[in-house]
Amino acid sequence: MRLSVAAAISHGRVHRRLGLGPRSRLDLLRNLVTALVRHERIEAPWARADEMRGYAERLIDYAKLGDTNEQAMRMANFWLTEKDLIHKLFKVLAPRFQPHPGKYTRLLQIPNRDSLDRAKMAVIELKGNPYPPLIRPRCDSEKTLLNQLLKGYREDIQRATAPRAPEGTAV
Amino acid sequence: MRNELFTKEKKRQLSLYPRIEKIEVKYVGKSHPGSVFVMNKALSTPYNCAMHLSEWHCKKSVLALVDGEVWDMYRPLTKSCEIQFLTFKDEDPEEVNKAYWRSCAMIMACVLKRAFKDEYSVNLIKSPEVPVISGAFCYDVILDSRLNDWKPTKDNFRSLARDAGMLIHKDLPFEALHVEAKVACEMFQHNRYKMEMIKQKASQNTEGIVMLHRFGDFVDVSEGPHIPRTSFCYQYEITAAHDLQTNKSELIRRFQGVSLPIHLKAHHTVWHKLLERSKRLVTEERYLEAEDGSSETKDGTEEGKSVSI
Repeated sequence: MRLSVAAAISHGRVHRRLGLGPRSRLDLLRNLVTALVRHERIEAPWARADEMRGYAERLIDYAKLGDTNEQAMRMANFWLTEKDLIHKLFKVLAPRFQPHPGKYTRLLQIPNRDSLDRAKMAVIELKGNPYPPLIRPRCDSEKTLLNQLLKGYREDIQRATAPRAPEGTAV
Repeated sequence: MRNELFTKEKKRQLSLYPRIEKIEVKYVGKSHPGSVFVMNKALSTPYNCAMHLSEWHCKKSVLALVDGEVWDMYRPLTKSCEIQFLTFKDEDPEEVNKAYWRSCAMIMACVLKRAFKDEYSVNLIKSPEVPVISGAFCYDVILDSRLNDWKPTKDNFRSLARDAGMLIHKDLPFEALHVEAKVACEMFQHNRYKMEMIKQKASQNTEGIVMLHRFGDFVDVSEGPHIPRTSFCYQYEITAAHDLQTNKSELIRRFQGVSLPIHLKAHHTVWHKLLERSKRLVTEERYLEAEDGSSETKDGTEEGKSVSI
């Protein structure tokens, strides 16, 4: 059978091919990671943002090791082309994400690009950024019927399990 | 009998306006602010105004705020005014919750009245105004003296709830009527507790007018507006019957239940927890004292039920 046919079909292949080649792909992603660390929320084509997400999260994991770590500093030096952002990464972003074990970014799809290519676009942001939130969760007010019934139920339980000792020692 | 008197009184009130006069109703709400409807005096209701807006408004709105006053959806408008609709999911649905609780109590009263055989008398007393946080709506009833020792079982409650479910399924509208105290007294001649309540209400009101509500065949005095139709209730259960300790000779029983509207359905796990909670006796005094702000230890004299997590 002709093996070159199998090479042309790409069913199930997960690795994306961006830019002009492997080095070009890394440069593209490097630029995007730098932009993300600088602005904390960027719009980009969905495939590039998705690809960049893993690299950004691993960079933050490296930054959590501390700036005295030689390996961490080398990584930050390679991935951030603007060198003033290395300081921001180690001094601002690492402490911000210290309590979280992972998942520092949020990827949301937005309407396709207006130009001729109609590319699938996404917005990627670091959690805890100072901008207003992208999605506002609409919760029911606390005074709706169901919420009031549940509140009464919770208060009953609290009162039942409240510590009995103070009642005995009073007066 | 009460039904016929109600219909007669309603026709009489309608005949006071032989010619159709037009009124202008201004809508002051979030969706279409500033729109003006031209409606008929004493014929058109806030529900008709909602029909002009959209189907969503008809299905979601429970009460109407007419010139700052809370009105039923099916009560005819009498003069040019400003209107706004209240739903279950507003910022402050306190009035809506109270109206829903009142309607559920009235449905329970109707079910109780018809549940027993004709030889046993059932005297409805009143529905105490309990806030929603207490967990159950209640209605005080005096049953026949032969039933004093009868304790309702789970099957009884289930059959009562099934009756209520049939009423809800029939989708009966709640009709409101404002009548003078004399006509109301004539309707409720045989029930002295209702007569006392009517006199008390009439004395509180400046014009001596009492508000009555009817759905299907059942007529009752009420303290405020009700929901428009019985189909607004989705989950309805009658949970408990407690005996109230009073000095009077007859045994007053308080029947309690829980319900939720179609807009706020609950998952069955949560629903069962709320049912468990509603079986406890609900008293008004605890909430009146809580409103005064006095610190109070919890009511330990309940039915011996302890809440387990």
